[in-house]
Amino acid sequence: MAIIEIEGLAKSYRVYQKKEGLRASIRGLFRRQYRTVEAVRGIDLTVEQGEFVAFLGPNGAGKTTTLKLLSGVITPTAGEARVLGHLPWKRENAYRRRFALVMGQKNQLWWDLPAAESFRLHQQIYRIEPSRFERSRDELTSLLGVRHLLSQPVRELSLGERMKMELIAALLHSPDVLFLDEPTIGLDVIAQYNIQSFLRHYQELRKITILLTSHYMKDVAALCRRVVIIAAGRIIYNGSLSGIINRYGGQKVVSLQFIDGRIPADLARFGEVILEEPPRAKIRVDRRVVPEVLSGILAGYSVEDVSVEDPPLEAVIAEIFSRNGEPPEHQVGQIPELLKEE
Amino acid sequence: MSEHPSYLRVLLTFARNSLVRDMTFRGNFLIDAFSSMSWVFMNLGFYVLIFEYTPMLGAGTGWGKYEFFVFLATTLIINSLVQTFFMTNADEFGELIRTGSLDFALLKPIDTQFLVSLNRIEWSSLGNFAVGLLLLAYALGKIDYSPGPAQLVLYPVYVLCGVAILYSLMIALAATSVWLGRNQTLYDFWFYITNFSRYPMEIYRGPFGTPLRRVFTFLIPVLIVVNVPARMLVRPLDPRAPEDFLLPIFAILATIGSLAASRWVFGRALLSYRSASS
Repeated sequence: MAIIEIEGLAKSYRVYQKKEGLRASIRGLFRRQYRTVEAVRGIDLTVEQGEFVAFLGPNGAGKTTTLKLLSGVITPTAGEARVLGHLPWKRENAYRRRFALVMGQKNQLWWDLPAAESFRLHQQIYRIEPSRFERSRDELTSLLGVRHLLSQPVRELSLGERMKMELIAALLHSPDVLFLDEPTIGLDVIAQYNIQSFLRHYQELRKITILLTSHYMKDVAALCRRVVIIAAGRIIYNGSLSGIINRYGGQKVVSLQFIDGRIPADLARFGEVILEEPPRAKIRVDRRVVPEVLSGILAGYSVEDVSVEDPPLEAVIAEIFSRNGEPPEHQVGQIPELLKEE
Repeated sequence: MSEHPSYLRVLLTFARNSLVRDMTFRGNFLIDAFSSMSWVFMNLGFYVLIFEYTPMLGAGTGWGKYEFFVFLATTLIINSLVQTFFMTNADEFGELIRTGSLDFALLKPIDTQFLVSLNRIEWSSLGNFAVGLLLLAYALGKIDYSPGPAQLVLYPVYVLCGVAILYSLMIALAATSVWLGRNQTLYDFWFYITNFSRYPMEIYRGPFGTPLRRVFTFLIPVLIVVNVPARMLVRPLDPRAPEDFLLPIFAILATIGSLAASRWVFGRALLSYRSASS
């Protein structure tokens, strides 16, 4: 069953174009120049019940705007969206009781009070039965290991602890749909890992539908089978994570270790040499010619060890981002020039 | 499970959380209460001084020293209620809009205007409320005329009407931040406007006063906020002018009108809300 259905969704803003300098500022008092920013330019997307989908895209691509549209925080300029059968920007209570939004950059807990007090407020606003509330609260705080911090003022918590409390606040009413906007931003590796494990566990257990935006490939790789890449307000890829490499990562990296400790001078005839650290070397080759390259090298030189790898996902994605939203049909079949590895 | 939360319960939790918070910053709380109460006493001293020179505020208006103290107490009670429940929230509303934190309020399955307007309760302002009640009791004891049961029942009703009118004005004003990006003149504007409500309406007469009175009675009805309940209690003029009967009726209409207008402005503002960077 489709939980989220988006059709032609678009959002543009008119922003005041401020110029530098005092004189320009004074002129701006009388005559203002506006510019239209098209944050989201017609998105179509369907998400099924129980999916965990990642939104990837550079800053300003329209990821957060899309999540805000789906949460009903802002209204679209054009297009349609239905989440759980509701029009989000009608802001009906029946809809608002069934989803949650967590933003890594903003906090909703009372800053000066212990998280427990904010949770109690949530209980009342969402009208959660006391026994169910206590059960959820205890379960979530134990899973995230923050039970002992419940009575400590939020301002005294570390960023990671606070983020966990934010997550708990969002999940107390057992939402069916969860929007996560960079939930691990600024967190250390351990906190990131803990939150990832928690999200994976929770999603598997409850089968809820989650949309996640993140800049950390590790989050995405750990959690999401489906990836939607947005650039300049448009969806340019919608499919599996491994599919990205198949589709855009047109090259492979061949790592070699030579027995005699010397790197052959004519290695460049097989592909671009990206690393020379005797006895090791790496060359980048078109994935279609990997077999020929390997047999050529193995026939001509004494090789101790060989491996063939996909280019790092970050590099592939960065390449896609840098092309900034050209329609996908222009990209198919092209072999991207990968970022140099060190 | 009902679709709507219990608003009373949520309000009580707001009150409780605010109190817990205030108690955490005990020093700040005490200084707050002390400074606003001392401002009130200084003001009171000023009026005591004025009544050293004149028996009545404007010849023939009926506002003698103690009648006026009832008026003053009413001002104090209404303003302290507005400050306790709405002032901080209205002020913070503008900030929520500017920083994009209003996002969270919009997600909650509860009336957004309720959530934004009553989120924080400023307990320290209740000190002035107590001073107002004491002054009211003291001044009423000094006046020959004693109000009947109907007046005693209607007085709190009209005090609440006054609070509602001032609140409406304040929240509508704060909501304009959505279009202006920033509107920090709330406190200033508040002071200018309530200045007009602080005196008996009889003083607004003549070529300058009459138009002022009309504007602040019918257009921005701040003049009736204190005047209606205060006049009801002390009857400065007896026999009463015809407007003494018309004004209370108008006050009810003005209250409903103000609340409806504020709700409309608030709703429009939410539709235009554009949030802020991630």
